[in-house]
Amino acid sequence: MRQQIDWVGFVLNNFIWFVLLATLILFAIAIPDYFTFSNVVNILITASVLGVLVIGQSLVLIARKLDLSAEGTLSLVTVLAAYIMLPFRDFTAGQAGGNGWELNPVIVVPIILALGAFIGFINGVLIMQFKMNFFIVTLAMQLVLRGAALVISEGAIMPGTPDAFNWLGSGRLLDIIPVSVVTTLAMYLVFSYLMSSSRFGREVYAVGANEEAARAAGFNPTRTVIIVYTLSGLLAAFAGWMLLGRLTSSVPNLGAGYTLNVVAAAVIGGVSLKGGEGSIIGAFAGVLLLAMINNALNLMDVNPFWVNAVRGVIILIALIIDALKTRYKRRAPLVRPSASAPPLEPKRT
Amino acid sequence: MANTLISDAPVIISMRGVTKTYPGVVALADADFDVRRGEIHGLVGKNGAGKSTLMGVLMGIRQPDAGVVTVDGSEIKHLTPQLMGNLGVAYVPQHVKMLNTLTVAENVLAGNLPKNGLGIVDWRAVYQDSQDRLGKLGLNIDVRKTVEGLSLAEQTMLAIAKALFSNARMIILDEPTAVLPRKDKNLLFGFVRSLKAQDVAFVYISHHLEEIFEICDRVTIMRDGRIIETRAVAEITVPELIRGMVGETVGEFQRDPSLTNEEVLRVDTLSRRGSYEEVSFSVRRGEVVGLCGLQGSGVGELAKALFGLERRGVGEVYIDGKPLTAETPREALDQGVAYLPDDRHKLGMVGLRPLRENVTYSVLERMTRGLGIVSRGTERPLVQGYIDKLGIVTPGQEQKANLLSGGNQQKVVFARLAATQPKVLMLHEPTQGVDVRAKVDIFNIVTDLSKQGVGIVIVSSEVRELVGLCDRILVMYQGKIIAEFTRANADMKPEDILLAIEGGAYAPAN
Repeated sequence: MRQQIDWVGFVLNNFIWFVLLATLILFAIAIPDYFTFSNVVNILITASVLGVLVIGQSLVLIARKLDLSAEGTLSLVTVLAAYIMLPFRDFTAGQAGGNGWELNPVIVVPIILALGAFIGFINGVLIMQFKMNFFIVTLAMQLVLRGAALVISEGAIMPGTPDAFNWLGSGRLLDIIPVSVVTTLAMYLVFSYLMSSSRFGREVYAVGANEEAARAAGFNPTRTVIIVYTLSGLLAAFAGWMLLGRLTSSVPNLGAGYTLNVVAAAVIGGVSLKGGEGSIIGAFAGVLLLAMINNALNLMDVNPFWVNAVRGVIILIALIIDALKTRYKRRAPLVRPSASAPPLEPKRT
Repeated sequence: MANTLISDAPVIISMRGVTKTYPGVVALADADFDVRRGEIHGLVGKNGAGKSTLMGVLMGIRQPDAGVVTVDGSEIKHLTPQLMGNLGVAYVPQHVKMLNTLTVAENVLAGNLPKNGLGIVDWRAVYQDSQDRLGKLGLNIDVRKTVEGLSLAEQTMLAIAKALFSNARMIILDEPTAVLPRKDKNLLFGFVRSLKAQDVAFVYISHHLEEIFEICDRVTIMRDGRIIETRAVAEITVPELIRGMVGETVGEFQRDPSLTNEEVLRVDTLSRRGSYEEVSFSVRRGEVVGLCGLQGSGVGELAKALFGLERRGVGEVYIDGKPLTAETPREALDQGVAYLPDDRHKLGMVGLRPLRENVTYSVLERMTRGLGIVSRGTERPLVQGYIDKLGIVTPGQEQKANLLSGGNQQKVVFARLAATQPKVLMLHEPTQGVDVRAKVDIFNIVTDLSKQGVGIVIVSSEVRELVGLCDRILVMYQGKIIAEFTRANADMKPEDILLAIEGGAYAPAN
């Protein structure tokens, strides 16, 4: 028996790629200098940090949770890295140096990655072991992390991170290809394969789609979700490393408002807020679309006050598509077992 | 006699030829049903027999595909909950929904509290009014108490009273006594009888058959979406009632017995407070044992506890002579216990994921290569093997599980469990929501597995099916095993088993 090709379903499931292509063509025609090598590289560079964060958030979303603390993790690790890496300098004109440890980047990078993973682990434990609400836990965690970043930096900008540290964010292979872009692409390939083909990926999807059934099938949702949050924290720290390397200065409020963009990119890319659905590659398309649109708005000299409004509209459109998808799927032939005995719901007493 | 009087009373609501179908299921077929003024009309049938659909039509929340509903002799064309409510139909569920943290008085007068000239609530009038109104119905409840402070029987009676205040003439009581202690039951029955004397009609839904005889005038029996018959209670006996609910003869399917003498599961005086008490039984390799009981009898809880989904309580369980120590489903699977849940959508499968993944969820570690990558080369043939063997109808392995039909979904769950090669397999309502053909397939799967030496426990309310499948049937009532029927003794009669399920009073001495 051959499966009938479900065109509507196919288009809805891969909608993002059609949109991406259409947007690219539109911008390439409408905006001079849009489709040039240097601008495309530019788009990819700005997509990199966002992209790494989106991987982590997608894992969390597929597990039917949310991580609002990732941008806080990013903020804290950038401040901490600068603080323990830069030479001491007195606070002048809003700028300051580190605490004088002047640690080697080879030590600093593992420290911040471990810190990110640890923060994620704590999130996971609070949510699964202590049965706390993921929204509140990660929101509170975000406040804690941002607060800590402000305390450490005392609100100062810490400029001049060493080249070795900046390699990930600013380096170019063969002087052309940005390291950050290559790294991000590689991470997408790895996580995409992991989610589609590994036992861990199966668990994340199963837990996100139906936690109770996953448990009854022999999985350990508690462990799975804790790992997912740990990865999300680790990736946020990695994104922090990449971003600080690009800016070469730590700014205490770095990453403020990223969460919305990150979740938007994932959802635009087809990751469901209801868990268990979506792919890492799809999320990547969402990242590209957002980066392309941001870049176009820049090139077109759109009033920056409008940029957020446009973004908001795009996110709403993505959510509408998500809702349409759910509704379309519900219309698919479904034989409900309870049809013979629909629950009684008295409308009045 | 009261019944002759009732049969003369005018019909309030009548349904003729009412049919309701859902995709793939006829929930109600050509149903004739009527309720007379001042009668208590019992409605009995197993889960899924169509009682809920029938009542749903009466309440205007289900639109029939065919048939006529008349109220006071005039036909009602477009049924809506508002319309049926205005015509006097009210529904009182098992768990009454009211403003629980407010007082009885506020609930009685909700939305219509007496106020003084300044628009401030006049609390003295509130309490006085509500007391008077309840008093007129013969209901003595302290109106200053909050609703959550009332007993469950009082809450039900208050809900009935509220329905009457909004001019209800026919009240549907849906298993009102399922959670009531005996003395509260008497209180409720007294109240219902006194209202009946004032010409209020009731439809009384209950799984406890003795109550039908205690309180009802007529009884309607439903099975498989059909109304089997409506009779005066005085003219019917319990066995007749049960035969109507179960169907005429013993199930057609007869399993070839394959039991051995090796014990594979032994449950030794297992108790969990509030669920089951000192339960002991054993299952042999290749044996199929049925476990029956009403909701609350402990059968479902026992099955879940043996699988590690719930606490097991005190007592010992042995699998192949080794003590079962599993605290989680994973450990239970590892120790040879598998469980097919009664609610496959909630517990049995991950509907959003493909059939292929659903079959191998419980055995992934067996097909994982280095770095935790699942080997498709091992997975695909295994899944295909089960698709062929169990006759799963699907366009392919990648089909999402929730797009399969109920029977095929159930087979997917069977495949997942069979892949774990269990020693003991527990099936909880395995034929629920499954069409007739798939049922036979499932019986064959059970037969095959038992031939392979798996000890099988089936928790089910489908007594007829159990009689055809099982070597033994155990009946639990209020947490205890109260009866045992065996094929060897040729005493597995559905009527007797159902009597035992209904309660100790009708159980044969054992």
